[in-house]
Amino acid sequence: MYSMAEIIIGIIQGLVIILLSPLITGIMRKTKARTQKRMGASVLQPYYDILKLIKKDEVVSDQSSWIFRICPWVNFVSLATAAFFIPLFLTYSPFGLAGDLLLVIGLFALARFFTMLASLDVASAFGGLGSSREMMYSALLEPALFLTIFIVALTHGGTNLSTLITAVSGATLLPHPQLIFAAIAMFVIVLGETGRLPFDNPSTHLELTMVHEAMILEYSGKSLALIEWSQAIKLLILLVLVVNIFVPWGISSSITILALGIGFVLLVAKISILATFIAYFESSIAKWRLFRIPDLVAVAIASSMIGIILYYIK
Amino acid sequence: MESTQLSILTISGSILIIATFSVVARRGFMDWLNAYRHQSIVLAGVTAIIGYITGIWEIYIAAALTLIVKSIIIPKVLTQVTKRLEIEFKTETNPYVSLRTSVIISALLVGLSYFLTQQIPFRSDPVVNVLLPVSMAQFFIGLFVLVNRRTVLSQVVGLLIIENGLFLFTMVLTHGVSLIIEIGIFVDILVGIVISSILLFRMSRTFDSLDVTNIENLRDD
Repeated sequence: MYSMAEIIIGIIQGLVIILLSPLITGIMRKTKARTQKRMGASVLQPYYDILKLIKKDEVVSDQSSWIFRICPWVNFVSLATAAFFIPLFLTYSPFGLAGDLLLVIGLFALARFFTMLASLDVASAFGGLGSSREMMYSALLEPALFLTIFIVALTHGGTNLSTLITAVSGATLLPHPQLIFAAIAMFVIVLGETGRLPFDNPSTHLELTMVHEAMILEYSGKSLALIEWSQAIKLLILLVLVVNIFVPWGISSSITILALGIGFVLLVAKISILATFIAYFESSIAKWRLFRIPDLVAVAIASSMIGIILYYIK
Repeated sequence: MESTQLSILTISGSILIIATFSVVARRGFMDWLNAYRHQSIVLAGVTAIIGYITGIWEIYIAAALTLIVKSIIIPKVLTQVTKRLEIEFKTETNPYVSLRTSVIISALLVGLSYFLTQQIPFRSDPVVNVLLPVSMAQFFIGLFVLVNRRTVLSQVVGLLIIENGLFLFTMVLTHGVSLIIEIGIFVDILVGIVISSILLFRMSRTFDSLDVTNIENLRDD
């Protein structure tokens, strides 16, 4: 059983993900602005946005049903629950007993499903457009995501995140070439799942290109704040997964203050570097035509297929 | 053989496969050339690693030649020759099999080459074990690009990938044939590139396109 200290650290890990997530979004926005020769807003701007939106009144269409009203809450609750399963700076999470990586993906799917329902619920043209595109993306991305997870799970034994990351932190990358392929596939999947640039432009309200923005177009006030926040949590969870599975160096395996501190500082540094890299990558490419997106997903699927072949052959 | 060396070989083989894939996944001629250049640089690195592991100094010269000829001279020559061609000749808009299917097929080809090399008992030599399937995968992917694409330019790139695969194949199996033969092969490739570029330039003049199906017509209808 876990001790009290471990449970407290587990709660802190979940809360850190929830509270730190707008900061990562802010860092990415700032990086994008700087690469486009703009000053950009402060990295704390997403916090101010959320606070301001919470104070504002909400407008709800009288044509909408209860689905529209509970969608932000379902989104936030499912993603915040997922946050508690993720080992952050300790190699395990005491809540890992209750769920594994597949449950985290299931919670992502639940949030996404309710967003799509809510966007159809208000029956605006943009909502239907956004949800049909989102459905296409999720149907394409899910097999790639599962293949990638299978590579990691086969290599390190099991989909339970705590045992997985404990195993990863003890091993070196060198004897596992299949993880390179998994990392490539995972990078494409993170871009797709969080709606980054070749898939979807997160900072536009231009009708023809938006996917996620089209679905949440009807939201305002507190609901919008919740949806934006849960989107930021999802981004941070995926980044943490990438960092902790593929470059877990420095993650703490004991509950001493020093090791935890080093683990936390290194984690924040690694995630900031990864977020900056993604933002820089986004600045260097344009949004792809919708029907070219399967090409990119095919690359992810092929890469994880080769990874699995390498695992079994080697 | 230490396990670290084996791991480095495996990792470099994987990077070579990734570099090969970027030719399959891209559309434009310049992208292919860049991918080919990266692939050749990785190939030179792999060759140097083989040289280090086997301890034969001639392999280093082969690696240096690979670096100079394949990653500098050949891309330069091809860029120069195709400078005057129009841009629509340089992109593959209409391959026989679509890009996304060809990426999946190439992954299956990698699997096939691993499967085939498993049938050959080379258990004694880890270099062969690790890199032979990679070289065969390169060969198959090059062949697939050659068959699948319509424009002459992409077929030239497919040919170059096949050549890279064969180079790795001989290097892995024989630990470097005699240096004279290596140099002869490099000169052969260069001459081949020059001749094919002259041919494709004439073709673009005559048919106003670089689609190979045009060559199959006997008369100009």
